[in-house]
Amino acid sequence: MFNALRKRLFGESSESKSAAKSRLHFVLVQDRTGLTNDEMAGFREEMVKVIEKYFVIDKEGFDVKYHRIEDHTTLLINSPVIVRRAGSAASSASRQTAAPAPKAPSEQPEEAVASNV
Amino acid sequence: MNSRNSASGSSKDLGEVIVITSGKGGVGKTTTTASLGAALALRGKRVLVVDADIGLRNLDVILGLENRIVFNVVDVAKKICKPSQAIIKSKRSNNLYLLPASQTDDKDVIDEAEIRFVLEQFRREFHYILVDSPAGIEQGFRNACAGAESAIVVTTPEVSAIRDADRVVGLLSSKGIEARLIINRIDFDMVRRGDMLSVKDVQDILGVEILGVIERDEQIIVAANTGEPVVYNPKSKAGQAFTRIAGRVCGEQIAIPNFGGGSIWSRLTRRLGVAT
Repeated sequence: MFNALRKRLFGESSESKSAAKSRLHFVLVQDRTGLTNDEMAGFREEMVKVIEKYFVIDKEGFDVKYHRIEDHTTLLINSPVIVRRAGSAASSASRQTAAPAPKAPSEQPEEAVASNV
Repeated sequence: MNSRNSASGSSKDLGEVIVITSGKGGVGKTTTTASLGAALALRGKRVLVVDADIGLRNLDVILGLENRIVFNVVDVAKKICKPSQAIIKSKRSNNLYLLPASQTDDKDVIDEAEIRFVLEQFRREFHYILVDSPAGIEQGFRNACAGAESAIVVTTPEVSAIRDADRVVGLLSSKGIEARLIINRIDFDMVRRGDMLSVKDVQDILGVEILGVIERDEQIIVAANTGEPVVYNPKSKAGQAFTRIAGRVCGEQIAIPNFGGGSIWSRLTRRLGVAT
């Protein structure tokens, strides 16, 4: 709403910077990781498979980000866990589930910080 | 981070070597080297600017010293002349000196060890040695980084320049050289219209400390025409920006002016606590 008003008041145009941002994001991920677009998609797919072996996750919310922190690139994998899969080998006590309720109140997304690239 | 800020009290009394680099050509490395060198000299620091772009020298022209060159950085490296014979005092300041590049040699004529040798010859005499790197990431870039304790990466708010800057920041950090960023040629009207990446956008993307922001300024062209660094023009916005950057290089806490903060409307709504 405010954006629309702002546009009307100040005559803002196309906002080509969002195109610049998304294109930069794309090339920098490739540059930083050295992976092609297909390899990136493959990585993502396999990651989902591995996590799904142990957890029921919200695939829509699954996201991989690449951040430069100080002198290394960090892979930030964000995978919302809906519920722990029944009978999974994953240790730790906590909630022992029988995997019913497909809509167990999805907890806040667990952030897994993995490996430096 | 800036351990030797107050140069006089520096433990070893050795000058700080800073490489000015960018990856992409034409973003303002040489102008930055000349302007920052002049601004530091105005603060009373003794500054040597070194043109490491062998074969394509330009820093002499930007400083208006092209007709005074006798020896160059390759001559010092090969011990053809004494170090003191090769440096040229600037016209406007007794504190600012240039070590020119060779125009006739090839980039590969000297190596990193020779550049380190050259820098060592001057580190006792100067507070700051600014090394102007050639574009690219090949031997010329590696030479320019040899002996540098920190780096200033110059970029413009464009996709190609930022991409190259990211690459260079990565290469520098693999050498253990900390990089700070100068965003050059920003146009705040375009930022407000949403047609140019803002300071924050660039910082978020690159994840590097911002050392300074320089507005697009016609006076940069005028300064290059006359060979007088823009910092001598008190009315130039770019000149003022370089003066602030010099202060930050010396360790002063000078805030980056908040001109990239969006439109008057968004600043107003932010102040009122309304999200846009």
